[in-house]
Amino acid sequence: MRILIAGLFFALFMACSSGNKSEDQALVDALDNTEMGDQAISGEVSEILHRIPSPLEISVLLKQSGKKYNGAFLNSPDNLSRYNTNYKRALNLGIYGTDLGYTNIYEQSQDGIKYMSTIKDLANELNIGQFFEMETIARLVSNSNNLDSLLLITTQNFNAINHYLQSQNRSHLSVLFLTGGWLEALHITCEVAKSNPDNAQLKEAIGGQKIILENIMHLLSFYKDNDKNMASLLAEMEGLKQSFDKVIITSVYKPSTFQVVDGVMIIKDNSSSTVEITQGDIDNIRTSTQNIRTKIIS
Amino acid sequence: MKKLFVFVFSVFVLSGFNANAQCNAETLSTQCIPKLASGFNFLKSYKVEKAGKEYVEYSYVFTKGTQYMINICAPGQNSDGIIVTLEDSDRNKVANSKVNEQYISAIAYPCNKTGIYYIRYTFDDEASYCGGSALGFKR
Repeated sequence: MRILIAGLFFALFMACSSGNKSEDQALVDALDNTEMGDQAISGEVSEILHRIPSPLEISVLLKQSGKKYNGAFLNSPDNLSRYNTNYKRALNLGIYGTDLGYTNIYEQSQDGIKYMSTIKDLANELNIGQFFEMETIARLVSNSNNLDSLLLITTQNFNAINHYLQSQNRSHLSVLFLTGGWLEALHITCEVAKSNPDNAQLKEAIGGQKIILENIMHLLSFYKDNDKNMASLLAEMEGLKQSFDKVIITSVYKPSTFQVVDGVMIIKDNSSSTVEITQGDIDNIRTSTQNIRTKIIS
Repeated sequence: MKKLFVFVFSVFVLSGFNANAQCNAETLSTQCIPKLASGFNFLKSYKVEKAGKEYVEYSYVFTKGTQYMINICAPGQNSDGIIVTLEDSDRNKVANSKVNEQYISAIAYPCNKTGIYYIRYTFDDEASYCGGSALGFKR
């Protein structure tokens, strides 16, 4: 009987210990994090990284608004050999990622294969090459019927890279990767807008990037004290921010309505937003973007 | 005496379940991707695991003129018990997937206001919920 009671207490103790384990671990993690900057900030960084929109959205906008493909807007794969630091590699991995999405959306398979190969090489140098199965991707790129699968697999690969980098306490590379991708999408949009100055949709798309820029600058600010390259990039982004300062985004909230059709809740958004942006603002944004990008890709 | 045996056995079994219960939120979130409606491009997959939390939340910048779809996948036939709420940057409610005591498993949102949006998953009772979700877009 005594043994049984002892066993009962032991069982309860083990159950309670199991419940507290995560709290104990959290304490240990918290203590560790005081010495590992990247770990300490990873929660907030991860939250913000998650919200940065995919550059693919911009490419779809450009194609659906009838703009033609222009490979001259993109970073040449021939520049790959210039990127000898992880800082440059991560930024240009993002840039080439956006370029790949752009070529995929426009079904430019020859260019797509070149970009895919370049990305694979860069990813190998960053020890994240395992996320790209070149044979599968090359097969998808070469057949336009596989566009949906191609977009899916490349998006999944890039998401997996971001998760992996964060799990390996290399979030700073994830931030650079997303910054490069975003900057390239802004650059392409500005270049397209240059030859379509009256396109309201493009103007609004450029102005709306003010929100993303604020988030990216917030991300970079986490690293500015410990990483000179990221501090320098943040300073350059400050210049870009000044170009966006005159852009005014106004939002009005009104409760939405909905109907359920075939099991899907379809929302009618009664809210609205407007973007006030002048041609002068767009010119300044384009110039600032170009200056930052030129330093990154050269 | 028998009752004590049963109690001790139950404690062991239950604590074992608690420690070993596996939530395949990762798998469920991946399974959710092909369930996005036709025409939607995949953006993100989210793990939705209660794991002692009151809610799970993610955020994403939505763009005016783009339509987004958020769906929920759970181990059973439907997403009963998991509710997705969409809020704008000022935390104004845009959508909630529980309607008339029914749990809708997909939300289509044609965005008319660019900004940060919060996608929050809550759980309707104390049960242990495990699921996945996917976000897609189309223009």
